[in-house]
Amino acid sequence: MTAILVADDDMDIRDLVAFKLEQAGYEVVAVDNGLAALTAATENPPDLVVLDVMMPGMSGIDVCRQLRQEQGTKALPIILLTARAQEGDVEVGFGAGADDYIVKPFSPRELVSRVEAVLARMRT
Amino acid sequence: MTLAGAALVALFVLVFAALVFGALIVAGRTVRRTREARRARLAKPARRLLLAVAAGDDDPEQIEELVRLPDDVWLAVESNAIALLGKVRGEAHTALVDVFERRGAAWRARSQLKRRDPVARALAAEVLGNLGRKDALLPLCDLLGDPDADVRVVAARSLGRIGDAGATQPLLATLPSRRPVPAHVVATALTRLGTAAQGALLAALDDPRAPVRACAAEVLGLIGAVGATVRVESALRADPVVEVRVAAARTLGRLGTRTALAPLVDALEPQHPAVLRAEAAKALGELGAVSAAPALTGLLADAEYAVAHNAARSLLRLGNAGRAALVAAEHRAHVRPRHSADPDEEPDPEVLLGAAHAREALAAAELDDKRKQTVP
Repeated sequence: MTAILVADDDMDIRDLVAFKLEQAGYEVVAVDNGLAALTAATENPPDLVVLDVMMPGMSGIDVCRQLRQEQGTKALPIILLTARAQEGDVEVGFGAGADDYIVKPFSPRELVSRVEAVLARMRT
Repeated sequence: MTLAGAALVALFVLVFAALVFGALIVAGRTVRRTREARRARLAKPARRLLLAVAAGDDDPEQIEELVRLPDDVWLAVESNAIALLGKVRGEAHTALVDVFERRGAAWRARSQLKRRDPVARALAAEVLGNLGRKDALLPLCDLLGDPDADVRVVAARSLGRIGDAGATQPLLATLPSRRPVPAHVVATALTRLGTAAQGALLAALDDPRAPVRACAAEVLGLIGAVGATVRVESALRADPVVEVRVAAARTLGRLGTRTALAPLVDALEPQHPAVLRAEAAKALGELGAVSAAPALTGLLADAEYAVAHNAARSLLRLGNAGRAALVAAEHRAHVRPRHSADPDEEPDPEVLLGAAHAREALAAAELDDKRKQTVP
């Protein structure tokens, strides 16, 4: 089963994303901060990571950059989920190595489509 | 009574008061924990239902089930539902709005807008905003003058979510008022109104109050109002308040139209305030016009750090021409001054200063390039 790591400090969003992805047939591991996401992704690399940008301690951007530096996770597909929608923010997100960037408020159905698209791109 | 007796009584009173105080704290915590446990127990089955509806499954039975939840169960998940309402869009949002509307949430929220408790007022404003109730425009505009600062902020955000351009003037009017809403909150709310607010924002550039003009100039850039370029250029050239001119410069950079080149280059002149020159230098980088390279190169040795720094970073954004100018400026620091008899003579301090800014920008670009190479 395809494993997805979800990191968001907002419990409602974390539960919703996990619920929707599980419903779509993925195995989901959910954590509530950046450091836990980094640890989980490096210890047991999932097939894809969904990262909130604004998290206490270590932001999603920092996690993304760190994952791109590590040998075992540098090719890991990463989707950033964030309320920051300015052009500059999107630029920073992609600059950090994200494969996709989803802005809140988001459509849960669209999130699943994006996950599927990123995974399909990685497989080809 | 002897002194020792009085001290003993005082000590007894103090110990008794401490015990009572401690007992009150413990009782308070116990009540809170019991309430939280009851809430969690009630919320557990309803939460899964709420997530299913918020996931946009579009299942009428689940929506119906959520609508029919007993009030105490709904109250246990209502705060989560309100939070989700503001964070999802599409069918998920439509389904949640349906649930809220059918549970009478809009009617209840409107009745709470005048409650004495500011938390109740703020919550009501948030619900109305998340539901996108256009009929709540006027009461929410009234809340912009609320005595509580947090309520005013929630009202402003809710007006942004509702997206009715009729909120433009009331939102701008809060900026110079006795009970202001922070400018960034107003700007974000106005940005959400989109191009429908453009007419009112253009008119606001003639407002006698400087904070209103500055915010209007800023938001015109954020909504990409290219049609406002000429008017914003006038604000950059002629507004009497520097904050407005700075916002106008930033907006011209964001809008990226060719005609903005001349007024932005003019704003670099040394007679203008440093904060404006620095912003104009930055905006020229955003604009990306290669013809701005000579003007920006001339600023590398500027006495104002922010002006020189922004000029160097903007040169980077101009591509090869800008990078070549930076490399040349950096190189000049290693060249012995012409006609100098002394082989050890240092180059001009201005040349050294320009070279330092150029070196810093080039080093930052090199780091950025290396980082990009690590991204697959």
